[in-house]
Amino acid sequence: MDETNRLLGLQDEENESSDGRDTQKGKYMTFKSGNEYFGLGIQYVQQIIQYQAVTKIPETEDYIKGLINLRGRIIPVVDVRLRFKQGPCEYNDKTCILVINVKSTTVGLIVEQIAEVAEIQEENILPPPTIGRADKAHHKYVYGIGKVGTSVKLLLDPEKLLYDDDPADADQPKKSEE
Amino acid sequence: MAEDFNTESMLDMYLFENTQLLEQLQETVLEQKDADCFDEDSINEIFRTMHTIKGSSGIMMFDNITAVSHKLEDVFFYLRESHPDNVPHVELVEHVLEVEDFISNEMEKIRSGDPADGDASNIIADLDKFLEKIKNGGAAAEGKEAPVNVHEEPKHFYIAPVATSASRFYKIFITFFPETEMANVHAYKTVYALKEIAEDILYSPEDILTDEKSGETIIKEGFRILLQAQCTEEEVRNLIGVGYDIEKVEVYECDADQFLLGFDFGEDQAPAAQQIDLESSVEVIEAASAAKEEASKEGAKEEKKEEPKIVPGDFVIQSKEPGKQKKLAKDKPKGEKASFISVNVSKMDQLMDLIGELVISESVVLQSSDLKVPGLNLDNFNKAAAQLASISTDLQNVIMSMRMVPLTNTFQKMNRIVFDVSRKLGKNIEFVMVGETTEVDKNIIEHISDPLMHLVRNAVDHGIETDEERMAKGKTEKGKVTLSARTEAGKVWICVEDNGTGLDREKILAKARKQGILDDNKPDAAYTDKEVYQFITLPGFSTNEQVTEYSGRGVGMDVVVQNIQAIGGALEIESTPGFGSIMSLKIPLTLAIIDGIVMEVGSSSFVMETGVIKQFIRVKEDMMIHEPNGDEFVMIRGDCFPVIRLGRWYGLDEYQESVEDGVMLILEVEDKKICLLVDKLVGEQEIVVKPIPSYIKKVKGLSGCTQLGDGSIALILDAPGLVE
Repeated sequence: MDETNRLLGLQDEENESSDGRDTQKGKYMTFKSGNEYFGLGIQYVQQIIQYQAVTKIPETEDYIKGLINLRGRIIPVVDVRLRFKQGPCEYNDKTCILVINVKSTTVGLIVEQIAEVAEIQEENILPPPTIGRADKAHHKYVYGIGKVGTSVKLLLDPEKLLYDDDPADADQPKKSEE
Repeated sequence: MAEDFNTESMLDMYLFENTQLLEQLQETVLEQKDADCFDEDSINEIFRTMHTIKGSSGIMMFDNITAVSHKLEDVFFYLRESHPDNVPHVELVEHVLEVEDFISNEMEKIRSGDPADGDASNIIADLDKFLEKIKNGGAAAEGKEAPVNVHEEPKHFYIAPVATSASRFYKIFITFFPETEMANVHAYKTVYALKEIAEDILYSPEDILTDEKSGETIIKEGFRILLQAQCTEEEVRNLIGVGYDIEKVEVYECDADQFLLGFDFGEDQAPAAQQIDLESSVEVIEAASAAKEEASKEGAKEEKKEEPKIVPGDFVIQSKEPGKQKKLAKDKPKGEKASFISVNVSKMDQLMDLIGELVISESVVLQSSDLKVPGLNLDNFNKAAAQLASISTDLQNVIMSMRMVPLTNTFQKMNRIVFDVSRKLGKNIEFVMVGETTEVDKNIIEHISDPLMHLVRNAVDHGIETDEERMAKGKTEKGKVTLSARTEAGKVWICVEDNGTGLDREKILAKARKQGILDDNKPDAAYTDKEVYQFITLPGFSTNEQVTEYSGRGVGMDVVVQNIQAIGGALEIESTPGFGSIMSLKIPLTLAIIDGIVMEVGSSSFVMETGVIKQFIRVKEDMMIHEPNGDEFVMIRGDCFPVIRLGRWYGLDEYQESVEDGVMLILEVEDKKICLLVDKLVGEQEIVVKPIPSYIKKVKGLSGCTQLGDGSIALILDAPGLVE
């Protein structure tokens, strides 16, 4: 479990650090969930590990799969498919846990498949269409649609992804697990 | 203001040091609050503390703090120099505490990033008035002009060196070029170099390290050193060296008598000088100067008796035993600060996490399946493994002990509260602390401070009667609040005891009946004292008819109980009507490690604190009682307990359906017993408690999580939560 797969040579990154931001600007970690590709600002991504067994927590939302032990730190993991109400899928060896850090809360995202780090310029990001396209549930988490060549990535707002359904929780300052 | 500079780390240091100084100050003041006046040591200490705070606040440009501390320093300077007789001591104590509060307040503002904008003028005016008052009083008594702080009378003081026949005495006079910057630092370098060879060294101006202005003085008047050493003039000159800053070095050899006369360079004014302990580091020099101040008083007295012919203004101690004088500075260590360092708590937590991981990886290695191949000779491996295991256990114990801190500071705060509240209420109350050095985990201390404060306030406000009432009741002894701490059976007991009225059972019952808490069919007499006293911990329950500044609003006891329960503690109330009451907090020693029983339900692991488990028992199906609404009970030896099936309660995927395949745990929390059904027991072990990440909403009955030996995660069950 400790041989964490650091794909793509990503380092632990402080999303707060200002000098890191320039090099990270416009870069998005993209992953596949269902039939679509999603993108997440790379400054939020701490590391990517292979799927590992999750300890279930009773009485929580179904998309919160439970806890994992990330080298001594215990972090919650969220199944992105369930979060998007896409219905569960089998976990296999392509399944990864994307560890993200949003406002000093560390959360793991279970994603079907990691794609690549894509560079998307600001002019290639469009606001999400109000009708058509993906199903409705996406819209509150998707803040833009990025074009990379011919393909399209749905860009996610990580804060909404984590907290949108429970605004009461989002109001409270989150304590870091450290 | 201060924000213009990059003062972050300086600011941290400033806040940290001043907080410590203020705590110490408060302790000193409260220790002597009942005395008639401060003793010499405390006056000096308060003076020094204020001086330090004034200095550092000046550097950080917190003008109001500087102003206030300067004023208080003035007061204590006057006390120190003039020894006025009729100082209203209690008033003085209040002034000191007021200043302390003000500074603490300002520092709190600074800490949270606000400007320190408190208005100090009232306090300063008060202090001025007070100083005027004691000056008048003092002048009448002594008929003597009070010295003014700003121009401190220069005085000579040093401890006579032990002269051996080989010792030579030098007077050294160093002149720096007028354009030299920071001449005081250069001067200190010289002193430092000379300390290598010196048996005794004395220099002037004295505070070259702390006082930046001394640089100017040095340039104007030169830097003077008295040196006793066993080396030649040339060696001394070599050591001093002639750097580009030093214009001229004059070294005169003299004899011991001349040496004792001090600086005699023809200046009309004898400057102040400082004794340095030779082996000491820079920090100790400050302590030495502190010791000096005290010693100077003694010196003054001794001088009158034995050495009347010493130059006026010089205080000299002729030591009777050679070598004794060097210890003088060491006899007065400045608290115990030197042996402590402060560490960021997050680093401690990180270390603790790492050690936790180490222990886990250790068990992964030692129980590796590769070792289970038959025919391996593992004797040496096992020996090494045992060694490793003992080291990692020690390591764990050390990190745990590092987190333990004594309750002393918390108790000191209570002392202050008793003082304040009793003064305001006009009650004469003695405060006694017992066992304040009991050590408790740092996290727990943070949680008990508020509840304790509340209990202590209650004891002073409600518990203890006014002096008149006590007289009327024929109670002869003084009102007394005792705060005690002790460790017992793996728990810490903190008791707040008063010898006041005690709880009024009838009043509580009447109030409870009015609020409809009591069962109408149950007569008053059927409630035990313990049950009755527990009512006061209910929200909105106060028998105090009048709301006072301190208590009576009926919020409080419930908050106390909540806070204590949050850290796994309990509140016990005992009371004897007319003779006082005892509020006991029973709290765990540490939150970080508990003894727990690991058990499994389906594929999930759970941990239950060992202390609450009374019994493990296997039950037969026919012992179960099923109610139509789904509730279940079990009869065990004639007692009936409600049953919780952990698997069903949490809606787990798989669990043993039949009670006969599982194990029942009988849990007892505050006299309530329940049975918990789990699939199987795994074992007992020490559990490092970690919080459930805050992203996950609080789940009833879970208090945390932990890693097990194989790296998997187990959830820690919270017995009180389950019982509810």
